[in-house]
Amino acid sequence: MIQFMLNGQSVQTDADVNTPLLWVVRDQFKLKGSKFGCGAGLCGACTMHVNGAALKTCVTPIAAVANKSITTIEGLGTPEDLHPLQAAWHEHAVPQCGYCQSGQIMAAAALLDANPSPTADEIDAAMAGNICRCGCYPRIKRAIRSVSENALAYDAMTQTEGGS
Amino acid sequence: MNSVNVSRRRFLQSSAVAGGGMVVGFMLNSCSGSPAPLPFTKTEGGWTPNAFLQVLPDNTVRFYTARAEMGQGVTTGLSTLIGEELDVNPLDMDIRLAGVHEEYVNPAFGMQGTGGSSSIRAHYMQLRQVGANTRALILEAASRDLGVPASSLITHNGFVLNGESRHPYADFIATAQTLSIETDAPLKPASEFKYIGQDTLRVDAIAKATGTAQFGIDVDVPGMHYAVVVRPPVSRAKAQSVNFASAMSMPGVTEIFEISTGVSVVAESFWQAKQAAAKIDVQWESMPLEAVSTETLRRDYAAALDAGDGVEGPSEGDISAAMQSASITHQADYWAPLLSHSPMEPMNAVVRIEGDEADVWTGIQFPTAVPGLVSSVANIPAENVRFHQTYLGGGFGRRGTLSHVVEAAQIAKATGKTIQLVWTREDDVRNGPFRPASLMRIKAGVDDAGNLTAWDASRAGGNISPDTFRGLLPALFPRIGEGVVEGVANLSEWYFEKFVADESSIEGLFEDYDQPNTRVTHMTVDHELPLTFWRSVGHSYTAFAKESMIDELAQAAGMDEVSFRLQNTQHSPRLHNVIQVAGERMANMSVPAGHHLGFAAHHSFRTDVAEIAEVSVAKGKIRVHKVTCVLDCGQAVNPDIVRSQMEGGVIYGLTAALYGGLNLEDGAIKESNFHDYPMLRMNESPDIEVVVIDSGTKPTGVGEPGLPPIAPAVANAVYKATGQRLRSLPLQLA
Repeated sequence: MIQFMLNGQSVQTDADVNTPLLWVVRDQFKLKGSKFGCGAGLCGACTMHVNGAALKTCVTPIAAVANKSITTIEGLGTPEDLHPLQAAWHEHAVPQCGYCQSGQIMAAAALLDANPSPTADEIDAAMAGNICRCGCYPRIKRAIRSVSENALAYDAMTQTEGGS
Repeated sequence: MNSVNVSRRRFLQSSAVAGGGMVVGFMLNSCSGSPAPLPFTKTEGGWTPNAFLQVLPDNTVRFYTARAEMGQGVTTGLSTLIGEELDVNPLDMDIRLAGVHEEYVNPAFGMQGTGGSSSIRAHYMQLRQVGANTRALILEAASRDLGVPASSLITHNGFVLNGESRHPYADFIATAQTLSIETDAPLKPASEFKYIGQDTLRVDAIAKATGTAQFGIDVDVPGMHYAVVVRPPVSRAKAQSVNFASAMSMPGVTEIFEISTGVSVVAESFWQAKQAAAKIDVQWESMPLEAVSTETLRRDYAAALDAGDGVEGPSEGDISAAMQSASITHQADYWAPLLSHSPMEPMNAVVRIEGDEADVWTGIQFPTAVPGLVSSVANIPAENVRFHQTYLGGGFGRRGTLSHVVEAAQIAKATGKTIQLVWTREDDVRNGPFRPASLMRIKAGVDDAGNLTAWDASRAGGNISPDTFRGLLPALFPRIGEGVVEGVANLSEWYFEKFVADESSIEGLFEDYDQPNTRVTHMTVDHELPLTFWRSVGHSYTAFAKESMIDELAQAAGMDEVSFRLQNTQHSPRLHNVIQVAGERMANMSVPAGHHLGFAAHHSFRTDVAEIAEVSVAKGKIRVHKVTCVLDCGQAVNPDIVRSQMEGGVIYGLTAALYGGLNLEDGAIKESNFHDYPMLRMNESPDIEVVVIDSGTKPTGVGEPGLPPIAPAVANAVYKATGQRLRSLPLQLA
């Protein structure tokens, strides 16, 4: 029996110790916001926070998160109580198909928690593990910048660049 | 050579539907006289004026969207159309994804399908009319209930305003449902549009940003079991022997058995099924395809082009005389490889069969086919099959095919269990159906004034349409036997091989420029790989050949690439204007040392797009820094979604241009997941600026047209940067 915190609540599972966290969260706890994309830690659709750090959970055995604290997209915010990044995703019309966006937002939230004023290169580096097949990258960048503590500096830069 | 002459202009008209991908338009209505009931629950006390709307007692306006939402923003676009005339803000509507019903056919196809960048243009007048008629009934009901003339009432976002008093639409639904409309209500003039033409936010963004949007893979039915299929490495091979003893004893595994496409493993969880699938040892039958590699494809296509014996497509003028009199002639071959669509959500479906009824949950582009397919597998009446549409985690054409629904139905039927079938990413990359590989040969002539006078273009490869047709046939005719389906499908392949060029295979290769002498030839070379439509279909490769050749010709004629294109697009005014606007922008761009600008333009899905790629090359690596995209899609119903579709088309196309290529080895696809079939990532993604020109026409396509110009724009920039003319995709420097 493995015990961990899931979105602030203590939970336990008797799933096989090798079962990836993603599938325990989706199948046993019925939180379907985190997605299966590749099963190999290559696309980031399954990203959750483990003790505050972004982690690809399709390759994280449940045994590795025993007694740790997990946050999923459902724990970050809800339609009635949006996290600032989720609000920015709406305001910048970021999602297209939307399938990768839970993972994108979790990766972005972990970045801003650790580094509230990321440079453009730091945003690129932090988000490079998350694939978006619809090509929402320009808008994801814009949304992250708008929520960062240096949003005003980005605004000024965008105005002088005249776009993007 | 079999010759079928069709004028270019007539071809353009007839290919409008084929551009969307269908060989034939057909209706899948029940043959009984009475219409089927609408596939949703009517709310107690609510009003259902038509198949698209319900007005509920609490004044909720529920909109059933008939087209599949795969990211292209169609739920926002269609709710904007109906909301404009109904006078309800699309963001205030309760949006539902429609089931299967004849009322939900795509007017462009005559069937319930989403594709071909057709949805907004196809529903532009229809849904506005539905909205206007519904509003007219509400106003008439309000007039009677309030005892005032309808002409004294106005509406505002779901309310009827009578002087100072404000009444929700719902107040009048009891009276409204006793009324009917005799003639269509007048539509708003464009000058009065409140929502059309505005950057309304997406209706699905909050659900998608909070993990609450339901995709097919998120469907969870009590008692559901999960299935994974072990698939042959070489397409369509059958199992000769299967050793599953060790897999059967693994935790959670309940059944292992053969289905039409491989060996299915059923377990209590997807993870258990996937683990067990890895333990199954299958001996597959030997297939002729095993003799085929990527090199074989390319060699066979080149041999077909050299032999010159194909089916003649749309042709006009005298190509031989024109070539002889040209002052410059130039010929080159262009290669485009097999590609996977790789939507982020792997294919999946939930099927439950109980007695003579079935439920199917999945997100797909062609719901029309579901009842027929499941009916033929489960041997139950098609009208007893309920389809539950979900959001699509990417479509790109991949979700226009339905083999995953057939597999899930076969497994559900055999086990008596409710089954969720999930493809792994490896299944997706290796098994297709694929974007076909193509070898294209263009020979062109230019006179000494820079006029393009002759265009002799041919394409060798497999045909896109017949395979998709084969998959849909059992849905059209659920009562006919498998042999008949094969027979009809083979007949269509034979037809395309011998008589008529499959329009989807050659679209975009010859239509855009003014040359008076054109010959188009198609050589069908089919290695029996499963093929289907891939975002922008034939244009995804023909634009690369055509726009690279145009650049080469401009250079040979001593003209700059924009002037040459302008001079030779006099007969295509909208494309001409887009080139002009983009050309002026390019002339005013200043780029850092070492950066180079490449240009390309293309007409597809009735929309004209020009793109400028700013590129640098360092240490053999191509880097795209910025893309400027200029387009004319007529009335932009939501300009911000138009911009997002151009951004998406450019990035999807850049993945293909820089990385995309599946390789065959002994008939099997070598690549398997995102490590060896890479996707463009954020750190490689260019800045993208989109300029939307509105020529005032009705809307034309936006989901696909942003893609075709990007590969040639980058290739043309790479030529300027390096002197290397790259004629094979993906672009790789020597």
